[in-house]
Amino acid sequence: MPIDLVFFLRVLIFPGFAFLLAFSLFCDWFERKVRARMQNRMGPSYTGPIGLLQPIADYIKLLTKEDIIPAQASRLLFTVAPVLALSLFVFTFYYIPIDGLNIIPNSSFEGDLILVLVLITIAEFTMFLSGWSSTNPYSGIGATRVLTQFLGYDIPLIVFAIGPAFLSGSLSMATIAKKQTVPFVALTPWTFILFLITLQAELGKDPFDIPHAETEIVAGYVTEFSGRKLAFIEIAKDIQVVLGAALVTVLFLGGPYGPVLLGPSAIWYTFWFIVKVLAVIFLLEYVGSVAARLRIDQVVKANWRLMMPISLLALALTIVCEPLLSPLVG
Amino acid sequence: MANKLRLPRMIREIASSLLKSPFTREYPKVKVAVPEGFRGRHILYPERCISCGLCERDCPANAIKLVETADKRLPVFHLDLCIFCYQCADSCPRSAIEPSTLFEMSSTKKEELILKPKALISSYKNLLEGDDKK
Amino acid sequence: MTSVEEAVSLLKDKLGSKVIECKTPKPRRAYVLMKSGYHRDAISLLLETFDETGVSTITGTDLGSEIELNYHIRCRGPVVTIKNKVPKEKPQIMTITDLIPGAALYEREVFDLLGVVFQGHPDLKRLILSDDWPEGSYPLRKDWDPQILEKNAHNLGGQSSIVNGGEVEGATSSVVKVIVGPQHPALHEPERFSFKIDGEVVVDVEPRLGYVHRGIEKAAERLMFFQDVHLVERICGICNAAHTICFSQAVESIGNIEIPPKARYLRTIIHELNRIHSHLLLLGVTGFELGYEPLFQYVWRDREPVLDIIEMITGNRLLTAFNTIGGVRRDLKPDIHEKIKKTMNKLKKQMRFYKNIIEEDPSLRLRTRGVGILKPSSAKKLCVVGPVARGSGISMDIRRDDAYAAYDEIPFNVITYEDCDSWARLMVRAEEIVESIDIINYVLDHVPGGPYRVKVPRKQPEGEAVSRVEAPRGELLHYVKSDGSAYPYRVKVRSPTLANIISFREIIRGSYVADIPAALISLDPCFSCTDRMAFVDVNNDRKWHWSLNDIKRLKKRS
Repeated sequence: MPIDLVFFLRVLIFPGFAFLLAFSLFCDWFERKVRARMQNRMGPSYTGPIGLLQPIADYIKLLTKEDIIPAQASRLLFTVAPVLALSLFVFTFYYIPIDGLNIIPNSSFEGDLILVLVLITIAEFTMFLSGWSSTNPYSGIGATRVLTQFLGYDIPLIVFAIGPAFLSGSLSMATIAKKQTVPFVALTPWTFILFLITLQAELGKDPFDIPHAETEIVAGYVTEFSGRKLAFIEIAKDIQVVLGAALVTVLFLGGPYGPVLLGPSAIWYTFWFIVKVLAVIFLLEYVGSVAARLRIDQVVKANWRLMMPISLLALALTIVCEPLLSPLVG
Repeated sequence: MANKLRLPRMIREIASSLLKSPFTREYPKVKVAVPEGFRGRHILYPERCISCGLCERDCPANAIKLVETADKRLPVFHLDLCIFCYQCADSCPRSAIEPSTLFEMSSTKKEELILKPKALISSYKNLLEGDDKK
Repeated sequence: MTSVEEAVSLLKDKLGSKVIECKTPKPRRAYVLMKSGYHRDAISLLLETFDETGVSTITGTDLGSEIELNYHIRCRGPVVTIKNKVPKEKPQIMTITDLIPGAALYEREVFDLLGVVFQGHPDLKRLILSDDWPEGSYPLRKDWDPQILEKNAHNLGGQSSIVNGGEVEGATSSVVKVIVGPQHPALHEPERFSFKIDGEVVVDVEPRLGYVHRGIEKAAERLMFFQDVHLVERICGICNAAHTICFSQAVESIGNIEIPPKARYLRTIIHELNRIHSHLLLLGVTGFELGYEPLFQYVWRDREPVLDIIEMITGNRLLTAFNTIGGVRRDLKPDIHEKIKKTMNKLKKQMRFYKNIIEEDPSLRLRTRGVGILKPSSAKKLCVVGPVARGSGISMDIRRDDAYAAYDEIPFNVITYEDCDSWARLMVRAEEIVESIDIINYVLDHVPGGPYRVKVPRKQPEGEAVSRVEAPRGELLHYVKSDGSAYPYRVKVRSPTLANIISFREIIRGSYVADIPAALISLDPCFSCTDRMAFVDVNNDRKWHWSLNDIKRLKKRS
């Protein structure tokens, strides 16, 4: 792709950085509104019409707060880790076809699914580093818990992700999305549900939200952050949620591809992408609201005793059913 | 993890909550009616007051002081000290103190929290005319 | 059930020579003054002979040249107060913690505020006052001068009063001490817990109380009796009706005031409404602490109509100001009855849903079943009260045993569960809500007519009284002593959480660190109630309670 104006527009504005930022802020609002309605209350309502400006207000507030680095923290790591986390998450989006093409068109390649999964892991690791570099016992514990939970559930996640790759015969996200004339959620619903639950643990949401549990360790790994750095981390967390939902969309719901009515197809593809991501976020919130927080030992036991074997079984089931399902795959 | 198979009741409840309208109300756009008998801001009936000072003596928070006005000594209520127990109303032998339903009393100026006799008289009159402003 | 006559005659028979004086001014109350040093014999006799006895509290009163110690022993229904006097210059007395461990905190309290040394106490140190309080200065003594704080101002705020949250000591040994300091975002009220953790197991815990100490007992001596009702109400926002009823009953007992039947019934209504909203609050907070936010929001949503009813009856949602000495302050008009009944029946239907959730929701069961076990024998030895006791199978309820207000005329059940864990305590409270709704419906149907208040003189005759009510968290005890003036001579408040917090250690020792939230919240701690004593000009830094679970276990692993 030649590096010209269109390139910069795509990278920086749409469907690049600005769009991603705005979209993740919107998803934050959506998440909070959905959670509130599930709890029979209003959710953000006062800032902007129906509270749409609430996430922006929150970030502006964070930017006006004092930015403190603890005396004993490792300065470099403390400052760089949030930015690194954000950059990695945003970069991962470059392999997700948002408007039918990747952000840098034709940059997808065979194996970019693996790259995406690896990048997610590394980005989470930088979040861990941010907590670890704070030299605060609460942060240290929060960081370690994050890693324990994340790395534990990463393995089943990858195993589940192999299912759609296997069905579509390709490790390229764009190809997997294109091949879903019938979305894989209908072909292998068991993988979809289990993937959602594992994603819940990866993102650190209820019932796996021990890393963020206020009632136990103050604020986990973000305890020492304030001001700009906290804003970075919070945005990184928000983008992580959208990324997870986008991953689900591409792997199971057919990505941005859907019926195109009149007008340019890019707009319709973006529209379907947005709709599907919001639907996945809704499901994640729903699953999250239904259970209480599990203890860390229960989380770990659930992972190794249940999730791991189940993931292998699910993969085996997918492989066994593949001959029956392959005619349906685009 | 043994009970994973049975669908928890909560799942249905959350789904039904999504379909209901929220329980919270958008204050201050929507205001809730306060029941009568609510212990809000004080009303003094100066014509009934006999300046006995029992309200001043009996207040547990020392929030009432009697001051001289044009005709007689009347109580001044320090709302920043008041605990709204209305012991003053109980102690008053002439029932000259009554609670109103006014509760939006927050202010950035301390003077507005000291109910002086002139203000009390006017707030009594305003309440009669249905004007519930500070 | 023991009657007070049995207890008194037993004491007179076995220890006749040691008894100086014995008064039984009211049924179920006895005040026995023993010769110096013979309190242990009396108490051990009572504890051994009758079952279901326990120490309710220990009150110290400064009588000028002597300090009088009242040991309030409950024999289920009646309360026998064993009095003992010690000279002020050398205030020493033998401890009773070897007879009954539950008295440990009460003795520390008297030591802290009055300077009485309990010989043989395993751990006699400060309970309520801050660590930097000047030595030798005992606030509850009559000759205490507040100026001593001014003089010592440069010493206050020393190192010991600063606590670092999450400090780790002993990195080389396997047992790590973790202090969860006053400020913690998850705590509802301030206190400090020092945990000793080995791997994932809690070895020991030591709660430090006193962060919400406001000096109410001393302040109560400076206000007249009827003003004290308002002061006592503000000890705790959640159980305020219980405090006012208890105090009013104590003063009415001293003054031999008989309140009209209608007042008794109205007091019952407010008391039960108080209990309902407090238990609902706890149910919601449990959900919140365990990460189950929808439960929290739903329960508090259903609590709102109860608060609206309270507002309709008393004029305010929480601080009701409904009771006074001599009855109640407002009437309950019959047109409100229908509204109350409607709300109550709606709530009853909702309670079925919540009981279902607590019983069957898998994630809640995972977090609360088998967590925080308190064996019945420990519960008896530690003298715990309220739902904590009833969740361990001990059937103890003041409303039935020592009936007050209108409870002797109302049929109701006392709920007990044998499971002894956090889940049982939660279920006890959930079912008590339903019982309270039934009580309210019954009372509304049977409220007699007539006056609701009698006029009461400002001065009360000389005397003393012990009054107990079943607050939402358990047995609440007020001891009031009058010297014939309009001001009380001594007011002592023992709130249920103080009785229950001593069991926290027992509950959590040997448990997983991660079970601390579920265990602590099942005790329903209300530290505003606990810390109210003695006159202190303390700056109320509200801290956040609670613990670091897993801090150590993951720190060990990494």
